[in-house]
Amino acid sequence: MITRRGYRWTEMYLLLLPAAFLVLGVTQLLLIRTGHQVVTQKSLPTLDALGPALGLIAAFAGAHVLLCIIAPEADQTILPIVGMLSTIGVLMALRLGPDLGAPELGTKQLLWVVIGLAFCVLTVWGTRNLRWLRLYKYTWAVIGIALVAVALVHAHNIDFNSPSRDVLGVGPGNFQPSELLKICLVVFFAGYLSENREMLAIGGKKVGRFTLPPPKQLGPLAVMLGLSLIIFVGLRELGLAMLVFGLFLAMLYVASGRFDFVVASLGLFAVGAFICYNLFSYVRDRVAIVSTAFDPGVATDKGYQIVQGLIAFGVGGVFGQGLGLGHPTFVPAISTDYVAAAIGEEFGLAGLLAILGLFLLLIYRGMRVAVLARDSFNQLLACGLTAVFALQTLVILAGNLKLMPLTGIPLPFVAYGGSSVIANFIIVGLLIRLSKADA
Amino acid sequence: MDLAHFLLILRLGLVAILYLVVLQVVAVARRDMRRLARTPVGGARGRPVVGHLIVIDSGSTPLLPGSRLDLEAVTTLGRAPTNSIVLESTFVSTEHTRIVFRDRSLWVEDLGSRNGTSVNQQPVAQPVAVRPGDVLQVGDVRFKFAV
Repeated sequence: MITRRGYRWTEMYLLLLPAAFLVLGVTQLLLIRTGHQVVTQKSLPTLDALGPALGLIAAFAGAHVLLCIIAPEADQTILPIVGMLSTIGVLMALRLGPDLGAPELGTKQLLWVVIGLAFCVLTVWGTRNLRWLRLYKYTWAVIGIALVAVALVHAHNIDFNSPSRDVLGVGPGNFQPSELLKICLVVFFAGYLSENREMLAIGGKKVGRFTLPPPKQLGPLAVMLGLSLIIFVGLRELGLAMLVFGLFLAMLYVASGRFDFVVASLGLFAVGAFICYNLFSYVRDRVAIVSTAFDPGVATDKGYQIVQGLIAFGVGGVFGQGLGLGHPTFVPAISTDYVAAAIGEEFGLAGLLAILGLFLLLIYRGMRVAVLARDSFNQLLACGLTAVFALQTLVILAGNLKLMPLTGIPLPFVAYGGSSVIANFIIVGLLIRLSKADA
Repeated sequence: MDLAHFLLILRLGLVAILYLVVLQVVAVARRDMRRLARTPVGGARGRPVVGHLIVIDSGSTPLLPGSRLDLEAVTTLGRAPTNSIVLESTFVSTEHTRIVFRDRSLWVEDLGSRNGTSVNQQPVAQPVAVRPGDVLQVGDVRFKFAV
């Protein structure tokens, strides 16, 4: 069981900080809602009102203790970083809910994080032996694609002019299978590439100065990649298609070390992007908005969301308006796609930069896990999973800041949404396991 | 206390905590890096180290070029996990090469591997003595000997 030496002291100490953040944040929200001008001991929230916050802290403490038992030597910084990010997510959902006319938003997000933590610990426990993950790589890919294909059949409103979300009604909530497909594809790519990396690195036929990849090794990869891209384009989830493609590129480069593959794939990406640009009118709109958002007639119509988002960032200034003191309801989809704007308004540039720092550290820890991995499957898996976080953060933040066309990808752990939180916690579980893998 | 003042304190406190988390994680990462720099990669700890191999070309293994591997009194290289240095590459045989410390010198010996072992581009048929700076090729992986 737990020994004093084996106890994860660093993790425990680091987890105290998100706990303090949550208690302070909830206190501030409750104070603002009461509306008293003078703060006395009476107006401070009671233990009762802090109940949900304490529940979340207890859930993290529970996950921490379980990790001490099942993976005492695993990385100790990943859970606190993720804890901090999801604490901000819960706090933003608690704060935005009443303004959006959905007061249950916060408690729902809190529940998702608790369920996510359970999945995280289960993943760490279930992957004590990583071999089954590698052995059934085709099974994972097929399961993932099948789940999303079901959503594709369910998507009845085939409307080529608007982006959509693939949603499966499961039990009380909606479930987005594409979040799981992401993980399945990383496992498949890692399993496949680790077995064939030598062949891919050395290549097959030579044509002039270039060596073509051997078709026998490239075939299954191309089929899985193509299938998932077709499904995402069919669901008009172009952001996810881009994510999967980026993921594939990163893993292929790490596995083969060949830059010409990357260049060739980017060429393919350009072709695909061009086709989608001509096929979907909303893609053309989104690309156009990057340069025309503030034009008269656009700012109040198609560019409304982006312009309002940028105004929210600007209003925040350096130190922000203060949690609960902004006016976030002007921005459409503030709790999901535009949660960064709400953070920018209320925590300011300082808060946003700190959150970027947290993502950077998360990615650093993930890449460190990859560098120290004991074989190439573990290495590729850790690298791919980390790339998922990196690409998602990049794509949505760049979209929010009007640096590139906006695509609706949730900001990991921070944006409201059950499937994304759970899927991200499964990834975290895998990374924690990979940081100290026995088999 | 005034609500405005109280909120100001809370607001600064919240941002301060965010930065504290970042700084603390960085501190942990720095400690980690120091510890990692002290522990050698690959070799077993606690046994006498008689030299090092520096990876020049990792071939198709996940080794990082530039990393230092410890050489013990007897070091075996190969694909099987029982070797002291495991080279995960299809160009490396399960038991490929043995490096032995004898008569104050390191000796390289091929263990009947399929793709052979070479020192300074010369195939190793009989055990040969090597000195620091010599280049060892095992399958598609190349090392340099160092003290």
